[in-house]
Amino acid sequence: MLDRKWFRKSKLLHHRQPSTSQQDTLTTDFQENLRVLRSLYTNCSDVIFRPFLIGGKKKAVIVYIEGLSNIEEIDRSVLGPLMDDAGGAETTVRAIFEKKVTAAKVKEVKTFADCIEQISSGNPVLLFEQENRGLSLGLAKWEKRSVEEPVAESVLRGPREGFTETMTVNTSLLRRKIHSPQLKILSLKVGRYSRTQVMIVYIEGLADKTLIDEVKNRLQRIDMDGVLESGYIEEMIEDNPLSPFPQVINTERPDVVVANLLEGRVAILLDGPPSALIVPATMFSLLQAAEDYYQRFMIGTAIRWLRYMFFIISLLLPSLYVAAITFHQEMVPTTLLISMARSREEIPFPALVEALFMEATFEALREAGARLPKQVGAAVSIVGSLIIGQAAVTAGIASSPLVMVVSITGIASFSVPRYSAGIALRLLRFPMMFLAGILGLLGVMLGIIAIVVHLCTLRSFGVPYLTPMAPLIPRDIKYVLIRLPWWKMNTRPRLTGDENKHRQAPGQKPGPTRGTE
Amino acid sequence: MIEKGKISASQMGIMMYPTIVATALLWIPEATATKAGRDMWISPILASLAGFLTVYVAVRLNKMYPKETIIQYSEHIVGRILGKCIGFVYLLFFLQLEWIVMREYGEVMVGQFLPRTPLIVILGSMLLICAFAVRGGLEVLGRAAQFFVPLFILVFGAITLLLVPDLEPENMLPVLEKGILPAILGAVEPLKWFGEFIVISFMLPFLTDRERGMTWGMITVIATMVTMAVINLVVLWLFGEITTSLTYPLVEAVRYISMGDFLEHIESLVMTIWVAGTFVKIAVIYYVLALGTAQWLNLADYRPVVFPIGMLLIVTCIWPTPNLADLAVYLKIIAPIIGIFIQTLLPLLLLIIAVIRKQVANGGRAMQKG
Repeated sequence: MLDRKWFRKSKLLHHRQPSTSQQDTLTTDFQENLRVLRSLYTNCSDVIFRPFLIGGKKKAVIVYIEGLSNIEEIDRSVLGPLMDDAGGAETTVRAIFEKKVTAAKVKEVKTFADCIEQISSGNPVLLFEQENRGLSLGLAKWEKRSVEEPVAESVLRGPREGFTETMTVNTSLLRRKIHSPQLKILSLKVGRYSRTQVMIVYIEGLADKTLIDEVKNRLQRIDMDGVLESGYIEEMIEDNPLSPFPQVINTERPDVVVANLLEGRVAILLDGPPSALIVPATMFSLLQAAEDYYQRFMIGTAIRWLRYMFFIISLLLPSLYVAAITFHQEMVPTTLLISMARSREEIPFPALVEALFMEATFEALREAGARLPKQVGAAVSIVGSLIIGQAAVTAGIASSPLVMVVSITGIASFSVPRYSAGIALRLLRFPMMFLAGILGLLGVMLGIIAIVVHLCTLRSFGVPYLTPMAPLIPRDIKYVLIRLPWWKMNTRPRLTGDENKHRQAPGQKPGPTRGTE
Repeated sequence: MIEKGKISASQMGIMMYPTIVATALLWIPEATATKAGRDMWISPILASLAGFLTVYVAVRLNKMYPKETIIQYSEHIVGRILGKCIGFVYLLFFLQLEWIVMREYGEVMVGQFLPRTPLIVILGSMLLICAFAVRGGLEVLGRAAQFFVPLFILVFGAITLLLVPDLEPENMLPVLEKGILPAILGAVEPLKWFGEFIVISFMLPFLTDRERGMTWGMITVIATMVTMAVINLVVLWLFGEITTSLTYPLVEAVRYISMGDFLEHIESLVMTIWVAGTFVKIAVIYYVLALGTAQWLNLADYRPVVFPIGMLLIVTCIWPTPNLADLAVYLKIIAPIIGIFIQTLLPLLLLIIAVIRKQVANGGRAMQKG
């Protein structure tokens, strides 16, 4: 009891530490304001305080951070007109704001906290003599990457723009796709030191209100030093943190975000990482790629089924191999069994060890390939293809069927469109191999049952993870089994709420006679 | 209420299907064939009457006590002490049912697929997973069943189709050669399986759409009846008179499948799917046992008793019968008698008492009013 009390107290203390006197409002004493700001920014050599006189009379100072603000614009639209003011000096903030400053985005600031927030995000702050408020000018400008094609999710057909590191660019990408003012973007700050801007994006009337509130609550609960990647937020807002499966969709593509918003989901954007989080996620939403919806529907359906199959293969193939070789030789067709036996003749290891060794090597190669600089990457792929290839077989370390198994598994795990879902299976593959080595097919099945039971207990923001399959939602199961043609996709999948369930007008199947009768 | 989750009536049906069929697939063909011979396919149809009766009784009792399971309302019907006794009988009965199912599963696995693996490893691994599922609650069980049952039906449907070239329907002729009596005798053993529908009295209180409980209960009885009859027919058409000498006729039938030198010896694969169905069965009865124990002891939560019951189950699986032959004797002679009394007749008796009590109470009130 005492411990807990003490803990809570110390937590509060910690929280207060970085924000000394920030909540205080600006005073009319110009020197005092300046002193407080200067003391807050002690030893910050990149913060510039530029004092000047308005019209040669009224004292003022502009505070900005070098590299975050547009210096030419400060000269042209602030310092120029204000210092030039030869005639009767405008004395009130309002007058200056209305008559003199030509910057497009101007906001009044009243507390030091406001000042700091504005300055840190690149907006210069103007303070005046005898005024207890200042002006922040929207003149932020810094080096940013241009909008490029997303690296991790490429498409053959579809928009080629991806999110960047800049929040304003990202929100503009969304706004350009949905013009309706129903698209809402709420802003929050997360991180004691980083004060990272987090945006909650949803479409009013489509996203369930309880869902939006829940997202807001969970984001507001986060109390950490800094947020550098959306992964930080993801781990802090999950329903079940002790699960290998991602409960949040993570995407770099604005079109994927918009498609999900239109299905009633909520997106979370962060200032910094070029990716958005989408909640709630279900198993099947993680197995869908944007392009399913851009290609013809029959192909989309076929590809989707192929993907389901390879999703399962990427989990099970090595363990099935181990089980078949160790326990159930009779399952393998005789001719294949003979050739397998021949190639395994010289292998000193049992199938489990052989498979574990090769799978671990493959994972290591993959990891090395992802981390290394591009120039070295080529060397890795050459060495890799030798290790998981003929050399391993000739050296008598692995049998050639296993080499096939490892490569098919590798390809299968690449066919999962969401990287985060693919790596969950990558991890689970190893315990499955152990189970297969111990109990054969029974072990594999027990592993599958355990995984399915786990998936059945999972929820993502209140939505069961295996929706719409388990619990079965007859209205929505068709969206999972096939990619319906667009003229048939009349209803919205049911998530937490069920208002506004019609996505479009029914009966829009095109044809030569349509509309002529 | 102890269970906070809610399931739909269709989920209940989907859970009940493997709860009846999973072990029946392996044991019913041989059991009915011994008694009914060529008319073995009629026996499940006759026995299903017990299923319909049990579902009807369970749903009627649930209508009178909508938020309670049989452990709880038996106290209301026959009084506290007698009710607790009935509850205890049910707990012992479900314990017995669970060890039978576990042992059946273990014997099949050891006997057919993993001869050198100790029984306790096979049972323990399954129990552990079931314990986790049971701790997840009824919702999780329902969802897991929805995931596995389609797979289960698909695979066993495919087996039936793959066996079609080898079937000889004339094996079933002449029908009813020795009158209806052998078929009736053959129906005695399946009674135990159809009686297991009493499990729905533990699910009915947690339905979101209780008015559809009866419909889905009946649909499930029909589905299990059809499945058993079809499997019996397939086995009969395939093996004819020799069915009686096979321990697991269905496993032998699967061994028979051979398609173009490629699709053969798939019995391990099929049994793997069967394990998924058995998992649902074991988990559902395990859940009933845990929930019932918690309700009988008036506990606030059933999760703390899940693992202790698991320990008890491991012991009871190994201890009562030393081998498969003894288990078969128990299954043929003792289990059906206990089954029909506790699963079907005792709830019926409870229902009759409840109805009479209600009418007496109503009559009394009417008299007071008058």
